[in-house]
Amino acid sequence: MLTLLSNVLIDGMAYGMVLFIIAVGLTVTLGLMRFVNLAHGAFAMIGGYAAALLTREAQWSFWLALPVALVATAALGALLEAVVLRHLYRRSELEQVLFTIGLAFFLIAATNALAGPQVQLIVLPPLLAQPVDLGFRTLPAQRLLVIAAGLVVAAAAAWIVARTRFGIWLRAAVDHPDTAATLGIPIRTVQCASFAVGAALAGLGGVLGAELMPLEPYYALKYLVLVLVVVAVGGMGSLVGSLAAALALGTVETASKYLASDWGSLFFFLAMALLLAWRPNGLLRR
Amino acid sequence: MNEGTTTSPASATQPLAQPATARPSPADAVAPRVAPPWRSALVVLAIGAAAWWALPEQLGLLTRIAIAALFVLSLDLVVGIAGLPTLGHAALFGAGAYAAAIFALRVHADPLLGLAVGVGAGALLAVLSGLFLVRYQGFTFLMLTVAVAQIVASLAQKARDWTGADDGLTGFTMQPLLGRFAFDLEGRTAALYAVAALAVGLYVARRIADSPFGLAVRGIHENRARMAALGTPVRRRLIAMYTLAGALAGAAGALSAQTNAIVGLDSLSFALSAEALVMLILGGAGRLYGALVGAAVFTLLHHTAASINPYHWLFVVGGVLMAVVIVPPDRAWAWLRRRLGGRT
Amino acid sequence: MAFNKARRTLTLAMACAAAAGSLPAAAQTVKVGILGPFSGPFAHYGTLFKNGAEAYIASQGGKLAGKEVELIYRDTGGPNPGQTKTLVQELIVKDKVDYLGGFIFTPNAFAVAPLIQQSQTPAVIFNAATSAITDKSEFFVRTSYTLWQVTVPLAQWAAKNDIRKVVTAVTDYGPGIDAEAAWKSEFARQGGTVVESIRMPMATTDFAPFVQRIKASGAQAVYTFLPGGPPNLGFVKAYNENGLAKAGIQFLGTAEMDEFDLQKFGDAALGLTTAFHYSAAHDSPANRTFVEALKKKDANAIANYASVGAWDGMHVIHKMIEATDGRKDGLKAIAAARALQWESPRGPVRIDPKTRHIVQNVYLRKVEKAGSQLVNKEVQSFGPQVDHGLGK
Repeated sequence: MLTLLSNVLIDGMAYGMVLFIIAVGLTVTLGLMRFVNLAHGAFAMIGGYAAALLTREAQWSFWLALPVALVATAALGALLEAVVLRHLYRRSELEQVLFTIGLAFFLIAATNALAGPQVQLIVLPPLLAQPVDLGFRTLPAQRLLVIAAGLVVAAAAAWIVARTRFGIWLRAAVDHPDTAATLGIPIRTVQCASFAVGAALAGLGGVLGAELMPLEPYYALKYLVLVLVVVAVGGMGSLVGSLAAALALGTVETASKYLASDWGSLFFFLAMALLLAWRPNGLLRR
Repeated sequence: MNEGTTTSPASATQPLAQPATARPSPADAVAPRVAPPWRSALVVLAIGAAAWWALPEQLGLLTRIAIAALFVLSLDLVVGIAGLPTLGHAALFGAGAYAAAIFALRVHADPLLGLAVGVGAGALLAVLSGLFLVRYQGFTFLMLTVAVAQIVASLAQKARDWTGADDGLTGFTMQPLLGRFAFDLEGRTAALYAVAALAVGLYVARRIADSPFGLAVRGIHENRARMAALGTPVRRRLIAMYTLAGALAGAAGALSAQTNAIVGLDSLSFALSAEALVMLILGGAGRLYGALVGAAVFTLLHHTAASINPYHWLFVVGGVLMAVVIVPPDRAWAWLRRRLGGRT
Repeated sequence: MAFNKARRTLTLAMACAAAAGSLPAAAQTVKVGILGPFSGPFAHYGTLFKNGAEAYIASQGGKLAGKEVELIYRDTGGPNPGQTKTLVQELIVKDKVDYLGGFIFTPNAFAVAPLIQQSQTPAVIFNAATSAITDKSEFFVRTSYTLWQVTVPLAQWAAKNDIRKVVTAVTDYGPGIDAEAAWKSEFARQGGTVVESIRMPMATTDFAPFVQRIKASGAQAVYTFLPGGPPNLGFVKAYNENGLAKAGIQFLGTAEMDEFDLQKFGDAALGLTTAFHYSAAHDSPANRTFVEALKKKDANAIANYASVGAWDGMHVIHKMIEATDGRKDGLKAIAAARALQWESPRGPVRIDPKTRHIVQNVYLRKVEKAGSQLVNKEVQSFGPQVDHGLGK
């Protein structure tokens, strides 16, 4: 019984952390720019693919490939934002949805054209590939890295938002964009930078979550629903809300895999519907 | 959003509140031009019959287009007219499909009875989920429709004995339509059946959209608060529209089950809901015929492009979607009309 | 006089020749529709089919029984019964194919049963493994395998080797459920117990929870079946990474050590036991011919159960074309197929006349290293096995 509980908690946390890391960028974009970016899953995919190709084809070390992949994804995100997406901020939600779905389709087709339809594997360094024996449970070291990374991202995000100037600009831009602009806060820079960071974090999630969510061209849309769920339940723009939602829902999904696997994702979506119905504006908002 | 829509049905209705002074005589009043609801249905029937006659080797494709058109039509009632953004419409389609298939397999394999069962199942699921869903709006509503659809899909997967789960529900053979027209290999009966059902569905949708009820729902779409202030029972109207749309979606699902003689879990999938939304937006939401155009164009494109290379098809559809947002179809049609010398 | 007679004879002869020439000639091109996934996560199967089928035709000199063969490929995308049915309807009605081949997924095969029955089109199943498929239409012939066929001997072997408690973990769809039923039935007959039966949803990507359940079940071995591609890969990796072998839970599988993914498991796969009908390392002249023909077609082609299923499937179609002289005659073709037996790259095989399913040797294999590559080394042959799941 205790083993089961600890298994559910550990695996649930790992899964939840992956969802959180990917969702951070989306919730900031939604909350900050009110921009519905359904191509967000594509950034996770691109980050994962970059790491996979660098470690497998170019034989780079994982520890080198990972930051390079993240920087590349951030650069792509910044480029897309500055050139294309920012013109859509004033458009209706439906148009944003359509455009970004179209962009996601395009990126799926491009990924397939460049790398083929098969699942991409990331070559992990021996340190991460070996099983770690925690006494009551053996699990791959990579899972521990995922949990640790999630905590680091959450802590870093909290610190940046609360303690740095950029964080203050971000909060001001989210709460009162016009006033913020009047006060001389460089809104465009804030928007572009947040988008790029969000894309990079999605890429990180893609790399870390590659075991749980295999990298293949349809990745961009396949797991988008899960990330949207986390953002909706957590509340748009709320980082802490996303973390709570991701962990809660990740644990529910994992528990149902352990206890009731033939019910599929029923409990995940049931929990999501109940949480949303109870707190339509997000877990931590009224 | 509502440009080009008709305002009152052909059947006589009382004009809205008239000012106490200056009553225009009936001779002075200029009634808006309206199309009788059966006209578009007849046009669809004519086009469908012509295609049926002229392309005997493409009847499977024709059937698929008709079913998709009916499905997207029902989506237009929800998204275009009621203004409820949904990504869970496939649940209603799938409910109709499975209900019709289970009915054919276990009770009686008559097509029209099965169609009625499908309509009922779609409407039932719509009213039950609608009661819960209409309390919410915007992004929350959208995500909740996704949740409801995924819950229905999970239940369908669990109920393996009833639905066949991942293997699909097969083993039923439909009896001849109206007792005379057997479902043949070439799909002649199926195609005419689907086109006829689409025509009827379009007639029903037109009547609904042009009725006072339909106008009230359009009003709710435009400004919920104002309609509520006018005394409209907003939630009840929305649930009613959602239920009617569910009936049409269930009909489309039943048609799919009967003409294919198989139902798979893909009829409940998120991908189907998303595809229907794309078809609707491509054709233009809110006008009903946009749903038909979008469904036909998308299905044809998909059929042609996907047989060449399924992945490269995504380049096409992705590009088209992005182009449609940059140059909205309304403006494109208007520009085209101007160029061709017509009035705007 | 003689001249006129000669002219009449000549005219008559020319008329006969003209008439004979205008008779519909025996169909010169035989059309075969091949259904498989060419896009999506299972797209590699489509390529395997293509390589196997085209390599066979090339090995026969480009023609089968003297007739040109046109292969028409259609993409089913994955387990997609509605789409498959539409594609097959088009193939039969518009393209007027004489034969059908392919089918990776059971639901797709089920969906087309009424179509091939009504149109009397023989359909050869290159891969789908649920026993009940061939029952759905008398025009199905199968050159792949069924789960009952490969599982029954494995269960017998396990019981003989002191394995008493086993947990089954299968994907929740036709072949998976067949696998579970086959194992439970035979293992119980041999006196063993199945301590738990785990069913994993088709859409699962994270197998850690299931692997933990397996660990907690207290069994000596896990018997498993998953569809090839990402699910298979994910499960075996989870088995390896969560230390199940070290915990003393032996791996008993069938299709999991698929040559397509085998190298990706690395050394962690050494020693894993499977029972299956084809290994690329099978030592026979027929297999060497097959592997060479594949490499000639495409240097990257992989010899595995899907490509050999296509190879043998085309052999059956070849014989059916021969028996019907290239004309479309479904009943005659199927009658001819029932009597077939030949030496396949996998070993000696024949078609069971009653069930139209292939009867073949099933081998016990362990993963070993041959040079720098991992191979499935056949350590024992269980002899010819029928489809134990049919006739029940």
